[in-house]
This record gives sequence, structure tokens and C-alpha cells, in this order.
Amino acid sequence: MNALEIRNLTKDYGEFTLDNLNLTLPCGCIMGLIGENGAGKSTTIKLILDMIHRDEGTITLLGRDNREDMLLTKQDIGVVLDEVGIPSCLSAVQVGKIMAHTYTKWDKELYAQYLKKLNLPEKRPFKEYSKGMKMKLGIAVALSHHPKLLILDEATSGLDPVVRDEVVEMFSEFTRDESHAVLISSHIVSDLEKICDYIAFLHKGKLMLCEEKDRLLEEYGLIHCSKEQLSELDAQAVRGVKASPYGVEALVRRDGVPAGMQVSSVSIEELFIFMVKEAA
Amino acid sequence: MKGLLLKDFYLSWRYCRAFLVIVAVFLAVSFTGDDNIFFLIYPIMIASVIPMTLVSYDEHDKWTAYSGTLPYTRAQLVSTKYLVGMCFGSVAFLISMAATTVRMILGGGFVLEQFAVVGTALLVLGCLGPALILPYVFKYGAEKGRVAFYITVGVFSGVAAVLAGMGFQIQGLSSGLWPLAAVAGVSILLYALSWWLSIRFYQKREL
Repeated sequence: MNALEIRNLTKDYGEFTLDNLNLTLPCGCIMGLIGENGAGKSTTIKLILDMIHRDEGTITLLGRDNREDMLLTKQDIGVVLDEVGIPSCLSAVQVGKIMAHTYTKWDKELYAQYLKKLNLPEKRPFKEYSKGMKMKLGIAVALSHHPKLLILDEATSGLDPVVRDEVVEMFSEFTRDESHAVLISSHIVSDLEKICDYIAFLHKGKLMLCEEKDRLLEEYGLIHCSKEQLSELDAQAVRGVKASPYGVEALVRRDGVPAGMQVSSVSIEELFIFMVKEAA
Repeated sequence: MKGLLLKDFYLSWRYCRAFLVIVAVFLAVSFTGDDNIFFLIYPIMIASVIPMTLVSYDEHDKWTAYSGTLPYTRAQLVSTKYLVGMCFGSVAFLISMAATTVRMILGGGFVLEQFAVVGTALLVLGCLGPALILPYVFKYGAEKGRVAFYITVGVFSGVAAVLAGMGFQIQGLSSGLWPLAAVAGVSILLYALSWWLSIRFYQKREL
């Protein structure tokens, strides 16, 4: 089963349009939604959660349309937004009590374990937490009702590398269960590169590509050559070019370059930057 | 919905507990003289602004967006504020009515009609404030909603002033309990209408 299916999703704000988005996230996988600030990542997540109204398209969450039985569906979804959203005067214990009355499958013991594991003070008000602690509490809440799908909007932004690593590891652990899935948006591509099975690139409201990460890394590579050598290549194979006085660095499809030409591996971050610049 | 109510009671206790002291002081002052009736109605005025205060804190803490991710309907999110308003309003109403009764007894005797007038005035005050402001708040957000509310009040006051200048007069309530009951009924109806309207507005709002 697919945890998330988006078909022809469109949202028009006038000055910005999320245009005809199609995505599929299978269960047991982590999908990274990558895009620059303002690319449409948060808009996509808000549309998935029916927080804003779509103009066109369909969204299916855990096999159900996101406009039907959304209360039931939300019981199976854990969400962390970039600003978390927990009231600043509440302590972790109070948040736990509120959530116990919110989620039918709230697991008090599991929540207590997360608080302990993440070193979160139980009685300190949320406003006195550091940015990392706030995010960790958001994640603990999102995980403590046994969700099947985690939706994380910039959940790793602003965290120090140690906390980021800790958090990223928790997401990986979550998808060890085949019925679980994670959709995580970020503009910090390196975080997503570590854990994602699928990568979706959003740029100015348009989906540039959505592929398995390993396939992307197999399909694309970087070449360093002269301008003349580049002009001899099949134009279809070249997906981005960075020229400098010392030559040219180009993102290419490996199957489109002649055998024998040295193609080095490309990171997801490089791939994204090349594609965005090419599209600009 | 219990979770939402619990959250609002936690917030009320944290942010509005100073109101308790103010209410106690004002009630005490109301006993000090015959002209201090204003101090008697102050608790209900304070209670009526609590839902609005809670919405402002929700927006400041980004709870408004986060609550959209939780398994609650928009109607439940709105209704919580009206229910919280009713709870605090009822407590304030009972406190003020008890104080009114004591005041009357100490002042020479209990007069039912006077008691009913005070009760109706308190009910009208308690219902009208939130009933008028909350639909704006749920449509435009706390800040813009407050501005829209003040503009409306300004326009109404202006129209009333013009009408008064033209010689219009509202007949005072005739004696008897029925007119008071009618006024109380209309206030409650307005509260219910406001509740319904806020749900309609909030269902269309993008979080």
C-alpha cells in the first residue's frame, strides 16, 4: 500500500502556484521533499493535511481521501511543523495529558520513554526549551501515538549537528516497520541524503523530479571537461552546467555520455543545485 | 475535544489567574459605596475577554497551525473557545449575582426586579462581547479581527449618535420580568449565532 498518493495537485495563490504535483510514497519508505525557501514544500504539506484548500487534484493518505474521514486518518499521522506549535507555557507533562485526550492510541509509557531518551525536562515550560529541545518534544509527541505516517516540515532546520543526527536516526528507526512511512521536507539536503529512499525536487511550485535516491545517484554523474568536449555530448544527456575559467563541470545522465569518459559520482545536494540553476 | 479544553484551561490558569485577584479587589470595592455598581460587572467583562485572549496566545505560539494537524474538526477548535467563554462567564455571572444578593440584603432588602435587571445586564455583557468579536477573530485572525471589531463598534456608535441627533429614542424597558427575559434570550441567541458564524468562517480559513 502507498502511504501517500498525490495526483494533479494544484494550489494557486496568484503570485505563487503549486502546479500539478504528482507524488507517491510507498509504505516502509522515507521521502525527502527538497526545495529552496518558497518552493512549495510547506504548501504541499498543508494541502496533505487539509489545512488549506486545494484548487485541483486528489490526495490519498493511508488509503483514504484526505477530505473524507480525516479525523480517523489524523489519528494515524504524526506531524512536526517547523515552529512545532506547542503552547509556550506548557510543560512536557501537560502536553502529554492533552495528547492523551487527543489521540485514541496515545501511549503514555512510550511518551515517557521518549522524554527520557531525548533528555527533555518534564516540568520545564516549553518556552524555556532550546530550539533543539523544542523540536525533539514535537517529535516525541508525533511518535507517541503509534502513527503509521510521519509528516515533518523542516523538522531538522535550526538544529545543531548532534541533535540532527539523533533525530534523523529516530526517523530511520521508525521506518524499520514496513507499514510506516515518512515524508520530510527540508532545504538542508545533506540531512535527507542520509535517510531518504525517495527524493522529490520542488522548484518554484513545480516538481522537477521524484525518484528513488539510489537510482538518481546511479543515473546521474558529474563530468569535468572543456567547453569543446561538452559541446560534443548529446544535449539531452546534459542536465546542468557550471562554467569556470578552468573548464566546465556538468551534470550528465551516465547513459548519455560516451564510454570511457570519466564520470564522477554526484551528491543529491549537487544534483539539486545543478537542476535548479538549469531551470532558472 | 477534551484535549482542547484541557489545553485552554492550562493556558487560562497560566495567563488569566491575575484576573482572579482583580475580580476579588473589584468585588470588594463594589461593597464600599452605592455608586460602585461598575465594579460588580467587572468580573463578567474580564471573563468575556478570556476566549479572545486565548486565541491571541494560540496564534503567537503557532498553535493555530499545529492544531490543524491534530485529529480535531474546525468546529471543535472553534467550539472550545465558546465553551471556555461559557464556563468562565458562568462562574463570573454567579460570583457577581451572589455579590449583588449580598449587597441588596446589606442595603435594605432583596428586590427581585432589581436582581433581574442586574442579572440581565450581566448576561448581555457576558454574551455580547465574545459574540461580536469572535467571528471576526476566526475569520481574520486575532490582530486583524480586533481591528475589524473596533471598526464595526465605531460605525455602530457613529450611526447611533447620528440617529440620536435626529431625535430617535429607544424606549426604556418597561417594568416586569418578561422584557428582561426577552433581552436575555436575544443575548443568548446572539451568542449561539456568533458560534455558528465562527464555525462557518473558520472552516473556510487557511491555517
